[in-house]
Amino acid sequence: MIEFDNVTRNYAHKVAVDGLTLKVPPGELYALLGPNGAGKTTTIKMLTGLLRPTTGSVRVCGYDLASDVRLATHAIGYVPEEPFLYDKLSGREFLEFAAEMRGLDGSAVNDRIRRECRYFELDDFIDDLAETYSHGMKQRLVFASAMLHDPPVLVIDEPMVGLDPRSVRMVKDRLRELAAAGTIVFMSTHTLAIAEEIAQRIGIMDHGRLHFLGTVGQLQSELASSHTSLEPLFLELTAGNNGRLRKGMDCKLKIE
Amino acid sequence: MRPPVIFSTPSCDFLSPQQEARAFGRARKRIFATLLRQTFAHSRFRVTLIVVLTSLLWGGMFWMFADGFWFLESTITQPDTHARAVGGVFGAFFAALMLMLVFSSGIILYGSLFRSREITFLLTIPARTERVFLHKFQEAIVLSSWGFVLLGSPVLLAYGVVSAAPWYYYALLLPFIVAFVYIPVSIGAIICLWVVHRVPGNRLAVLVGGLVLLAVGGAWIAWGLLTGPRNDLLTPDWFQEILGRLRFSDYRLLPSWWLSTGLLDAASGAWSESILFFSLMISNALFFRQLALWQAGRTYRSAYSGLCGKTMRRKRPRPMRFDRLLSWLLGPLPAAMRLMVIKDLRLFRRDPLQWSQFFIFTGFLVIYFFHIPRFTYGVSSIAWVNMVSFLNLSVVGLLLSTFTTRFIYPMISLEGRRFWILGLLGVPRRTILWGKFFFAAGGAIVPCSGLVLVSDLMLGVSNLIVLSHQLTCLVLCLGLAGIAVGLGAWLPNFRDESPARIAAGFGGTLTLVVSTLYILIVVLLTALPTHFYLAAEYANLGGDVQGQTGVQWWLGFWLAAGTAASLILGAITTLVPLRIGFHALQRMEF
Repeated sequence: MIEFDNVTRNYAHKVAVDGLTLKVPPGELYALLGPNGAGKTTTIKMLTGLLRPTTGSVRVCGYDLASDVRLATHAIGYVPEEPFLYDKLSGREFLEFAAEMRGLDGSAVNDRIRRECRYFELDDFIDDLAETYSHGMKQRLVFASAMLHDPPVLVIDEPMVGLDPRSVRMVKDRLRELAAAGTIVFMSTHTLAIAEEIAQRIGIMDHGRLHFLGTVGQLQSELASSHTSLEPLFLELTAGNNGRLRKGMDCKLKIE
Repeated sequence: MRPPVIFSTPSCDFLSPQQEARAFGRARKRIFATLLRQTFAHSRFRVTLIVVLTSLLWGGMFWMFADGFWFLESTITQPDTHARAVGGVFGAFFAALMLMLVFSSGIILYGSLFRSREITFLLTIPARTERVFLHKFQEAIVLSSWGFVLLGSPVLLAYGVVSAAPWYYYALLLPFIVAFVYIPVSIGAIICLWVVHRVPGNRLAVLVGGLVLLAVGGAWIAWGLLTGPRNDLLTPDWFQEILGRLRFSDYRLLPSWWLSTGLLDAASGAWSESILFFSLMISNALFFRQLALWQAGRTYRSAYSGLCGKTMRRKRPRPMRFDRLLSWLLGPLPAAMRLMVIKDLRLFRRDPLQWSQFFIFTGFLVIYFFHIPRFTYGVSSIAWVNMVSFLNLSVVGLLLSTFTTRFIYPMISLEGRRFWILGLLGVPRRTILWGKFFFAAGGAIVPCSGLVLVSDLMLGVSNLIVLSHQLTCLVLCLGLAGIAVGLGAWLPNFRDESPARIAAGFGGTLTLVVSTLYILIVVLLTALPTHFYLAAEYANLGGDVQGQTGVQWWLGFWLAAGTAASLILGAITTLVPLRIGFHALQRMEF
């Protein structure tokens, strides 16, 4: 279970996340949406233990990210928007390091690396130095490293950036599989089509507040809109100064 | 929605601290092995150049210090005064190094603990906070101590050779240095963590305040050392007075004093006292390391989180009158070139790391020029004064070459991934390079000519020398700017984003070497003939008027030829690297 309990995070005088309360149960594929500067990345950073809430608490599998950060991060696999790899390590060496840090032993390390190589088709370049990888290759490798230890929670910031269509398909299938097996997938994205296609629930943030939480169908009925797809609904809610949120109409929307 | 799966708390098979250390160590060893393999496979020339230059520098320092210690031994015959003199020199040297290590390690750790992309990865894996800190702390130890080894080893080995030290003096050198380095690096780490944790919004003010304090303290000590009595220079009285002024390094609680006393004891055969100081050093090193580790465990994560809150604010730069003034001053230049110069200046001004290093360099230059009158030491010899004036010119040139290598050479490399913006601008690429050249040369000519003029006026040299220096200064500025801009375009490094790392690479090293050679040749071409011409004029060769006139004529010819040669060399050195840079930039793909 992921739990945000009345979480606020300030940057000096600016409120980046404002009173966020959210629960994501096991087996759910959840997508957090919002325009630039809405507070999505801050939310993700608090969920991974990089940032601490100014007030409130974030818990993963019952562990508080502020006081039990090690236990909480052990339960998380994290794929950041900009993948980090050691340039002078090969993909395999990086995976070995990541697996070892997650407490996997010798034979389990090799088995898991083989498994992820198969899933993400890494065999062609796994033994090359990471400095030679394209963005998409790096992204696939970071996905593999996040999943090595079968984490109960997978946190992904912009999952499809830099991936080719085949890799996008691969990632979507894998996320669905994981969610079906009970993993919580918490992703932040600007790609509305992906969220619409695979997410079971979506949350829409703007100016640090979560304004909507539910399914696309629920959003349509809340907005009483004739549109059925997520993109026009999202734009209707948030776009520029004409969006409903910008006009102060957010209080009518439902947060489950 | 699918019914939620009952989820159990994950089993937490955390690594033990030893296993964690081994995992980090293994990754680091692999990275180092790859780096080493790549360097020897692809950069042999660069490695050879670095090894040769470092050996030359090391050898030069060893020779200079050995000579200095011989001189001390022959000048101060009283054993007690001699021991105090060497102790004073060692103490002051290590105290200065300690202070520099505190600052440099604090800055290195700030960059690696709070600014690197690796940290965002390490903080999201279940590694102990203390391990993440130690990982970076060990890197800071290595990064800080290589400079110490390079600077300190020739001093210590020279002293060992001159004082015929026993074998255990040499055996104890490295352990003493390593134990010593741990103390200032730990103090730097503690200060860094404390500042970011307690006053994250004012960290820059704390850094600037610290640097100002350091500069004022250094200037005060240097002033005290250089304003002694003039007439008894290098006499026993002078040494006594200097020792009195170095008494601050004799403070018994300073690790630098433990280091110098422990090593001097080892050199004099008092091995048991030396081991005592070594134990004192080791125990303090471990204590400070533990203190830093304890503080990291308590504050590092919250400090990191707090700092993110301070740095994610949007910044809106204020329009500056200076930019408008510069735009007006650069009016005669084409609009594209003018905009390029102003853009480079804005980027430089808004990067605190760039301008803080710039001001440190400038500070050294100003301190040096403040002490020019001391070089005369009442010596009335015109030859000596002329030599000092040319020495000043060389110093300005050498410092300018470090400026151009550090700040100008990386400019094209820093365009890096943004190069397509310049590439698609519709501005001829030649204009881009000319813009950078004018930025470099314009920024160099005014302060350098001014400093050289001030030094000449302080020394009271003749008008001919003043004119010669101004001309040489102009030639140096144009040539050094041409070398840095041209080689910067020819050998760019688009991989690194840090200008310091770009400057430390092969292209930067080559720029520095070529610049140094250029300065030496230009100064020799102008200094030697001027020196002999004026020496002959003042020597008044006696009654042989005909012979004197002949010598004067030849020396005058030599002076004119040397000046002309330096002008021609300056033109070649300015234009050839720029031409190479133009071609390289023209061929560059983005």
